[in-house]
Amino acid sequence: MTASPTHTQAGSRAAVPAQTRRSAARPAGPAPSRTAPAAAARPRRAWRGPVASRAFLVPMGVAVALLIPLAVAFPGAGSWPAALAVDLSGPLGRAGDWIIDHRDSHPLFLYLFGHVSNAVVVSVRAVYVLLLAAGWTGVTALAALVAWRLAGTRLALTCAAAFAACGLLGMWVPTMQTLALMVVAVGASVVLGALLGLAAGLSPRAHRLLRPVLDTMQILPAFAYLLPMVLVFGIGVPAAVLATVVYAAPPMARLTALGLREADAGVMEATASLGATGRQRLLTARLPLARPQLLLGVNQAIMTGLSMAVIASVIGAGGLGDRVYQALASVDVGAALAAGIPIVLLAVVLDRTADAAGRRLGAEPVPVSEQHLLRRVFSGWYGRLLTLLAAVAVAVVGRMAGTSLWPESWTVSLAEPVNSAVAWMTGHLYSGVPVVGGTADWAARFTGWVLDPLRAGLQAAPWWLLLLLAGALALLAGTWRTALTAVLALAAVGVLGVWEASLDTLSQVLAAVTVTLVLGFAIAVGAARSARAERLLRPVLDVCQTLPQFVYLIPVVALFGVGRAPAAAAAIVYALPAVVRITVQGLREVDPAVVESARSLGATRSQLLRQVQLPLARPALLLAVNQAVVLVLAVVIIGGLVGGGALGYDVVLGLAQGDLATGLVAGAAIVCLGLLLDRVTQPAKEA
Amino acid sequence: MNTTPGTTPGTSSAPTPGTTPAPSVTAPAGESAGAPAGSTVFSVDGLWKVFGPDKAAAKVPGSADADLPAADLRERTGCTAAVRDVSFDVRKGEVFVVMGLSGSGKSTLVRCLTRLIEPTSGSLTIDGEDVLAMDATRLRALRRHRAAMVFQHFGLLPHRTVLDNVAYGLEIQGVGRGDRRTRAAELVAKVGLDGLEDRRPGQLSGGQQQRVGLARALAADPEVLLFDEPFSALDPLIRREMQEEVARLHHEEGRTMVFITHDLAEALRLGDRIALMRDGRIVQLGTPEEIVGSPADDYVRDFVRDVPREQVLTVRTAMRPAVAGEAEQGPALGPATTVVEAIQAVARSGGPARVVDHGRCLGVVDDAGLLAVVAGLPATPGRGVAA
Repeated sequence: MTASPTHTQAGSRAAVPAQTRRSAARPAGPAPSRTAPAAAARPRRAWRGPVASRAFLVPMGVAVALLIPLAVAFPGAGSWPAALAVDLSGPLGRAGDWIIDHRDSHPLFLYLFGHVSNAVVVSVRAVYVLLLAAGWTGVTALAALVAWRLAGTRLALTCAAAFAACGLLGMWVPTMQTLALMVVAVGASVVLGALLGLAAGLSPRAHRLLRPVLDTMQILPAFAYLLPMVLVFGIGVPAAVLATVVYAAPPMARLTALGLREADAGVMEATASLGATGRQRLLTARLPLARPQLLLGVNQAIMTGLSMAVIASVIGAGGLGDRVYQALASVDVGAALAAGIPIVLLAVVLDRTADAAGRRLGAEPVPVSEQHLLRRVFSGWYGRLLTLLAAVAVAVVGRMAGTSLWPESWTVSLAEPVNSAVAWMTGHLYSGVPVVGGTADWAARFTGWVLDPLRAGLQAAPWWLLLLLAGALALLAGTWRTALTAVLALAAVGVLGVWEASLDTLSQVLAAVTVTLVLGFAIAVGAARSARAERLLRPVLDVCQTLPQFVYLIPVVALFGVGRAPAAAAAIVYALPAVVRITVQGLREVDPAVVESARSLGATRSQLLRQVQLPLARPALLLAVNQAVVLVLAVVIIGGLVGGGALGYDVVLGLAQGDLATGLVAGAAIVCLGLLLDRVTQPAKEA
Repeated sequence: MNTTPGTTPGTSSAPTPGTTPAPSVTAPAGESAGAPAGSTVFSVDGLWKVFGPDKAAAKVPGSADADLPAADLRERTGCTAAVRDVSFDVRKGEVFVVMGLSGSGKSTLVRCLTRLIEPTSGSLTIDGEDVLAMDATRLRALRRHRAAMVFQHFGLLPHRTVLDNVAYGLEIQGVGRGDRRTRAAELVAKVGLDGLEDRRPGQLSGGQQQRVGLARALAADPEVLLFDEPFSALDPLIRREMQEEVARLHHEEGRTMVFITHDLAEALRLGDRIALMRDGRIVQLGTPEEIVGSPADDYVRDFVRDVPREQVLTVRTAMRPAVAGEAEQGPALGPATTVVEAIQAVARSGGPARVVDHGRCLGVVDDAGLLAVVAGLPATPGRGVAA
């Protein structure tokens, strides 16, 4: 039991930390046995950390103290030396050109990627046609019926209302496009993830092989996945779907593996004692025992899939994401909001439905005789068929009434009023508000007082000092190996020739992470203290964590305009819920016996917090830092779309101009930056 | 196999009460009608289980390190010997109890019997058939039909109903759905869970869950039932109830049972014979009466010190040879009568009582002899003579 399963559990992406809340509610199974060793390991780790790090701290400090005067003495040493950089734009450009030239002739494309691409296009097309054929009546009815079967009337109404809202906003067709793309991508990523997870769950060797790969994939910003896909498949639906598949498969794979590996050893032994064959053990015991994790994996795949399907609009996914993207490009907040709301609704509905499916599985079944008559009619396989038939019937009725697409006359134009509201805000709130100042003033101040000095400082600092610093920090957090990875990752950024841009991104990340952590810890400490505050906060966090990264850009653009400060603000808003959730959970999970004994000794509340709760919640706090860094990086990169500049802008530029070399180099730098930031903040693993 | 029944090497002082299993509280009724005495089900000889790297572990049995204490052994070889050179026979129809504190190797031992844990060395047969030589198919057949196990933590499938859990073993054997459900329903009724067929294990109490585990083990109608501390996780009252349930089942069917426990009272209550384990070895093997009446060493003596001797020991321990005339007078007691019962008879009649077996007077118990047992005094010369 190392620290990594904890890391795995809380995951890294938007919706992943939500899993901790659910795993806590999971039916008691192997859970107690799992927490016990973890709890036992915790104090030991907490001890070893400081002791080990103190040993390194002194020589590191001496080294830094000696080197800083050196840095001052050679002021020219600030940026990465040109001699050590490799210009990859030439070879990469040629490779890109070669691929574009041979896409229609080379056997690799003809017989492999061509077929993949065609299959994707055909299946997305088929689902899309099916959705359109079902019409808005059929789709809404099916969604509502499924939700009703899984959870009840309330979720059914929510579902129906959500789809109706999509129609009302005039977004029915883009919603269906996004949905079609998602269905195909999520289906494929669930299958792919389940297969990988099966391999990793059953074979320790496959697990050892896959784990670092999955770990790394999970910390990479979504943007990093786009360009390789574009390189192979060109801009369009296939690239978007495959990027989504690759992005959404890791959570499914690791949860499948986790579920299979953690199957109750007692049950597995009992099945063996009854003489079950290996196959029987897998099919009748191991897989069913892993069902909660499998469902959670599907849920995660859906949420990450939606998130990516929206971002992939940048490479031709179409649908809702594309509308947001286009609107943001022209700073048309109203139009962006009209497309953003369906995304939010889709996320909430999908998450709630998948969650309800998981909860229904964990709950004990209600005896048929005690069920409501309607429920009895709709139970079992027969009920599933009936659900489908009912939806088909509604769809047919809709078609006969002549409304397969959402009727034009029923739409409400949101863009106009929103834009006028934004105009009013621009006029009245942007600046010159007495005492507090305007939002644009805040953004300017944040840029001028925080982002600029930080960026200037980082860019002026000698490159070797930064390398040293990265190594030292990684060493404090982990082992020599993590330090080596961190240093190499940062060096790679320099070698790639994007040192300046990367440091710009890094400065935004650092500033945003700091704000996120300060706010997050403050909120969490407050929420952990009062049950009421937590109750109020929980639904907000739930919704926030299900939203795709993309939609966070809309409100910040409305409030702060474009630039680096809004990008940082979006990142803060995006990462805050995860930080709050993890910290609250960490504080709550502090051994109540210890808290009680401290109280009985007369500790005040602040003493309790400082001397007992925070030290004991240290692993959770470290995890929160790690999460904050990973999540902030993801959004800061996407912030390139709203004037965040730096690496994100390079990727967008590369895509927009067809300049793949620039984009790919920036993508590689993002990967390196992600590795560096994750390693530096990784909660200490037991060596 | 190599041990004389009733003793382990080094316990020569223990009396040998003949070849019939000593009668006890739970004397199986089916036994006298069923198997001939001495027919063995499991025969274990020189069995070792050493945990650790395969190569290093295989070297330990029989080497110079074999007798080292656990900590020294781990330091020298990196291995842990859980079962050391254990030999015993399990006779048909008896309840064979393996008792020891946690870490004594008893759970490992019972898992070795069906190779859930692969033994390191030694020999192991069931009905004369070499278990260690079985291939995967034969071994599965053994687990499916001949030896079923009941676990401390139940090991039930949480996603299945009670009925499907009980039918699980039959399902694995390929029994048709209708047949296995009929059979499972019978067993659910037999263990007293009627009406709970459609519940999930999570909805049952610990005692009920263990009844499901018991029914599941019985479903395949195995020759031997293996119990691995089945009642340790239960409340005392429920535990007592379950012990009675097992005693009843054994009484009705006379099925051979191997029962692992760390609870001495449970061992004495259920066991026809008890093997007491310490650090992987059997320190004494005998009837409850022998274990309590003549402990093999200080460890065993310490173990049984608090046992109410008069409830375990029989009149055989307390009796002396009859002197003239005594063989015809006084109340007659069977040789399986406990000392407690004898005290009642002697107190009622006011004089010594006769111990009679099939019409033959074996000896006489008087108040002095009975009191000596209660007081824990060593048997005076002439007492404790077996027939």
